Amino acid sequence: MNVIETRALAKRYRRTWALRDCTLAIPGGHIVALVGPNGAGKTTLLTMAVGLTRPTAGTLTVLGSEPPGSPAALDHIGFVAQDAPLYRSLRVADMLHLARNLNRRWDQRRAEDRLERLEIPLRQKTGDLSGGQKAQLALTIALARRPALLVLDEPLAALDPVAREDFLASVVAAATGDGISVVLSSHVLAELERVATYLIVLTRGQVRVCGPVRELIATHGAGLEEIALRHLRAQVPSSRTEAGR
Amino acid sequence: MTTRTLAPGAGPALGRRPVPWPRLAWVTLRQRRGALIGVSIFLGLFAVYLVIMAVIQNNAYAAVAACHPASALKCQQLNNAFYRNYWGGSGSVIQSGGAQTTSSLMYAVPVLLGAFLGAPALARELETGTFRFAWTQGAGRTRWALSTLVLPAVLLVAATGAFTAIFWWYFKPFIADGQVSVMLPLGFALLGVAFAAWTLFAYSLAAFLGTLLRRTVPAIVAALVVYIALAMETATAIRPHYAPPVTVQGWNNAGGAGWVISSWVKAPNGQVLNQQAISTLSQHLPASVQNSPSPDAFTNWLTQHGYTLWQSVQPDSRFWQFQLTEGGWLLVVSAALIAGTVWLVRRRGA
Repeated sequence: MNVIETRALAKRYRRTWALRDCTLAIPGGHIVALVGPNGAGKTTLLTMAVGLTRPTAGTLTVLGSEPPGSPAALDHIGFVAQDAPLYRSLRVADMLHLARNLNRRWDQRRAEDRLERLEIPLRQKTGDLSGGQKAQLALTIALARRPALLVLDEPLAALDPVAREDFLASVVAAATGDGISVVLSSHVLAELERVATYLIVLTRGQVRVCGPVRELIATHGAGLEEIALRHLRAQVPSSRTEAGR
Repeated sequence: MTTRTLAPGAGPALGRRPVPWPRLAWVTLRQRRGALIGVSIFLGLFAVYLVIMAVIQNNAYAAVAACHPASALKCQQLNNAFYRNYWGGSGSVIQSGGAQTTSSLMYAVPVLLGAFLGAPALARELETGTFRFAWTQGAGRTRWALSTLVLPAVLLVAATGAFTAIFWWYFKPFIADGQVSVMLPLGFALLGVAFAAWTLFAYSLAAFLGTLLRRTVPAIVAALVVYIALAMETATAIRPHYAPPVTVQGWNNAGGAGWVISSWVKAPNGQVLNQQAISTLSQHLPASVQNSPSPDAFTNWLTQHGYTLWQSVQPDSRFWQFQLTEGGWLLVVSAALIAGTVWLVRRRGA
């Protein structure tokens, strides 16, 4: 089963194309690194996958054949948006209670245990948490929903190196422990190199590389970062015509 | 790493039942708690003031009403003192302002409450980015938006409805006295169902504009502008047409009988005099009439000389008919605005 499948997917914001002719199939059971420079269309692709944005053209399905944003898709996809938006005025405990009331499936024990391990106090106001704690709280909420697919948009961008390590370790633990498929985007590949099992390189709204990391390394005979860099560099000269209106 | 088996039903199987409304209601109450408490405190304090003044005014008016005969000088003085103290408000500190000022301030209450509660409902989510959290939860954005919009609206209508009852009690002496017609723009929008209906309209309008503009402050400003324009248009141009006005002969200057839409004079030959003809006529009156201190001297002279005076009136007896008409169309417009807001939420991209 493909967790995300797109065909000729395109998205235009006013006069610029954020994504064009994007066809890909992401199989389940992977930790997928979605890599590309800022403005490559990563967020656009992910927000369409979670049903926040509608495509301008093409089709997109999630978790087999579900349309994004449908009740079944919402039930099974945990999403943490960029900068992990949470209600700043709420206490951590209220934030959990809120998420519990917004979902049909909720594992309160798991959420509380996780926060205790991370030493995030339930009485703390969400707005007073550090960047790392906030990201962890958002991840905790997403995981307590027991999703089949976890979608994380630039989860590491606002974190310091130690928090990045901890966050990635949590993601890997969730993926291996619970069999959750993970798609995470980043404009820096270095951190993802050790955890990603599937790589997608996106530049200027188009897919450059898409495949399991093992195969890519075998065919290219290079490390993940080098493969990505090679593709990112190769596209620079032609990118000007592509971006034309 | 080998492909792991995907388990969408990683927990107990989910039925088809969506997230129940009471749970969504909890979410709405928790998210809007601050704003709802703010509205309650504002209405509560205002209501306490109205209750205190209502007791004082109703007691004072009881003395006026008990005075017999009403035409006696003593009673006239009592009545004048009552109006001076409680209508104009030149009495003690607590009454300062008086009912005239208080009821004028009341006009701002629906739009202030509505904009304060409605504008941030979705605009704040869009401003802070939390909509990306709220709209990707299992409940789905449509149910979440319905709960977020409708529950505060119901609470607001209930609170302002109760508030109207207190205001009515406060305002009763002036209506009972026949000095103020309940049909006049002055009182109509603050009584009956109109006050709650206008509040609901302001709330729905602000919520819609907040979602459209995606910003709280511009939404509040836009809601104020639209609300004031529509409220003034309604009072002057729309409300008089809920039913054809009744034409009555004679000018009833005492008021109380209804809302006078227009008045005119017919010459003895049946011709309706225009404004210019009336002013020309008034300048050519005998000196005894022109210099008379009585305000009725001119009209008395007109009737004595075969002129007839006419008025087009919306009588007080139509109060509830007009209230339900106005409440009805405001409810329909509000429902359309809330439906439009939900529609915007459904089609809105990230």
